[in-house]
Amino acid sequence: MLEISNLNKIYGESDSQVKALDNVSFTIKQGEFVLIVGSSGSGKSTLLNMIGLLDRPTSGEISIDGIKTTSLNDDKISSFRNNKLGFIFQFSNLLSDLSVLENVLLPVQISGNNTITQKDAMDLLKVVGLESQVNKRANKISGGQAQRVAIARGLINKPSIVLADEPTGNLDSVTSETIVQLMKSMAKKLNQTFIIVTHDRQHFGEVDRIITIKDGKAFEDDQPSEMEIVA
Amino acid sequence: MDYRIKLAKRMLFNKRGSLIGAILAVTVGILVIHVNFVIFQGLYDAFVRDIRDYTTGDVIVTDEFDFIDKSDQSLIRWFERIPDVQAATPRLSATSEMNMTKNGKLIEESRIPLVGVDPFNDVRASTAHTTISDGSYVFSRNSIVLGSTVARDLGGAQVGDSIKVLVVDRWGQDQIRRFLVAGIASSPGGSGFDYSAVIHIDTLRDMMNRHGDTSSFMVKLHDPSAATEVKEFFLRSFPNDDFIAETTEEASEAQLEGFRSGIAMINMVGYFGMMSSAFAVVTIQMMLVNGKTREIGVMRSIGAKRKDILIIFIFQGMIIGAIGAGVGTAAGLGYTFYAKETKMSFAGSLELEVTYNWEKIFQTALMSFSLAIIASLYPSYRATKLLPVEAMRTV
Repeated sequence: MLEISNLNKIYGESDSQVKALDNVSFTIKQGEFVLIVGSSGSGKSTLLNMIGLLDRPTSGEISIDGIKTTSLNDDKISSFRNNKLGFIFQFSNLLSDLSVLENVLLPVQISGNNTITQKDAMDLLKVVGLESQVNKRANKISGGQAQRVAIARGLINKPSIVLADEPTGNLDSVTSETIVQLMKSMAKKLNQTFIIVTHDRQHFGEVDRIITIKDGKAFEDDQPSEMEIVA
Repeated sequence: MDYRIKLAKRMLFNKRGSLIGAILAVTVGILVIHVNFVIFQGLYDAFVRDIRDYTTGDVIVTDEFDFIDKSDQSLIRWFERIPDVQAATPRLSATSEMNMTKNGKLIEESRIPLVGVDPFNDVRASTAHTTISDGSYVFSRNSIVLGSTVARDLGGAQVGDSIKVLVVDRWGQDQIRRFLVAGIASSPGGSGFDYSAVIHIDTLRDMMNRHGDTSSFMVKLHDPSAATEVKEFFLRSFPNDDFIAETTEEASEAQLEGFRSGIAMINMVGYFGMMSSAFAVVTIQMMLVNGKTREIGVMRSIGAKRKDILIIFIFQGMIIGAIGAGVGTAAGLGYTFYAKETKMSFAGSLELEVTYNWEKIFQTALMSFSLAIIASLYPSYRATKLLPVEAMRTV
């Protein structure tokens, strides 16, 4: 479970301060498929970076599975990201020097977890439809295939939450549709929490929740009224 | 295989240009050291070799008061009883004036070093006789060998010419004798008898009125490394005499000291070259880090710790260092082999004394390997300092 309370992020100092996140609080339960939407510069990617522990908040608290993350040191944050979080980026961000299979296995190798094997990675690649591409270099596959590899990589360590930042932002509409369906089916199949930042909600159809970010504030279900999301 | 090592290798080998550049930098650094060593240490050793072969032997014995008055034969026998000693020979030195009539013209030369040798023992203890380019070595009491420079200064003296030699004896009287030129001596680098003349030691003793006197004894050993031992044994055996016994290096210290300083400076230049190659490695590694910024961000975001990133890039430094040290050492050994096999010399002068100094070869390889790793520390540290969120914004 993800619990965010009174989260603030301020960039710059004194006169040139920009409040990217303004007192954001909400909770996401296990297995929910959540969209975070908003216009460019609204703070949605900043929020995702905070949840993904890629950036530190100015104030407030983020708890994942009951663990308060703001007090963790750099090494513990790395381990936490490795074990509890899965990432899917807009540009897939695969390592071009590794093969498809090696990219999927990378989080496992970083964690040193021996319980997850190459067979698990192969199974995941089969689910995303890339079992025939396992030995190809990551820079030799198409954008849609790369994004599917990124999904497999994001899921391999069985994380608590999968965070996706504009996962279809760089894909054509047909491929985008495939990726969305894939994420939805994986979420359902694995009872996996997905938090997806997107500016294009139509592609996603029915989802469990939509959180809209506007001027750094969070609103539930695209209703930028005064209903701030609280736990 | 550990994923960090696999990634380090892949990242490096997929950037072949950078890899080759970095390896070349290390290789050139090592090669400069090897070439410097072959040429300058080779020149130094060749210089020492020629002093030993032509002038001092492995041990040279002189007397504190100008001349040794012990009999030649007794000292030679004493030395040759030592198993390490190959041969010993006496020499007597003087300064002479010479003149010769060539094509009806009298040519005079003064202040020519004159060396008296015992022909029988000299050829056993010295290789000076091998420098005779024309004619033969001193073989009789009235024969003289001229150094090539002396022969030239005397208007082109040749074998068979007659030469008048003047020496001032111990009573200050001029002693003149006529000699037949038996040979011309010419050595590569001019370190033999090129600037001197050589006659029979007994003739010179007669002329100088110094019967039984000797300037020095050259002692040739089977193993030059025993020189100090033989020298000390000799001095211990004659505690009441005024002998001075020195090894080649000790006897030539004044000449060799400057040479050694020069070699030290050249070595410094070589080590600066190696430092430059380390800077090249830093630059290339920085380029590699910059080229992989986004991937470093991705690795960090999926859980890689700072130390994992550090290990990846330090391991790349180790790969560069290991291959560079290997290739550089191989190239250096190749050059050394070439120099040894071709008996390398410059413009027909002194032949270099080329040796494989394994200790130095190993040290150089180890030093460049270590430098490559040290050079990779800063780029590696920079890589660990990248914030994942910032790094992933890099295109």
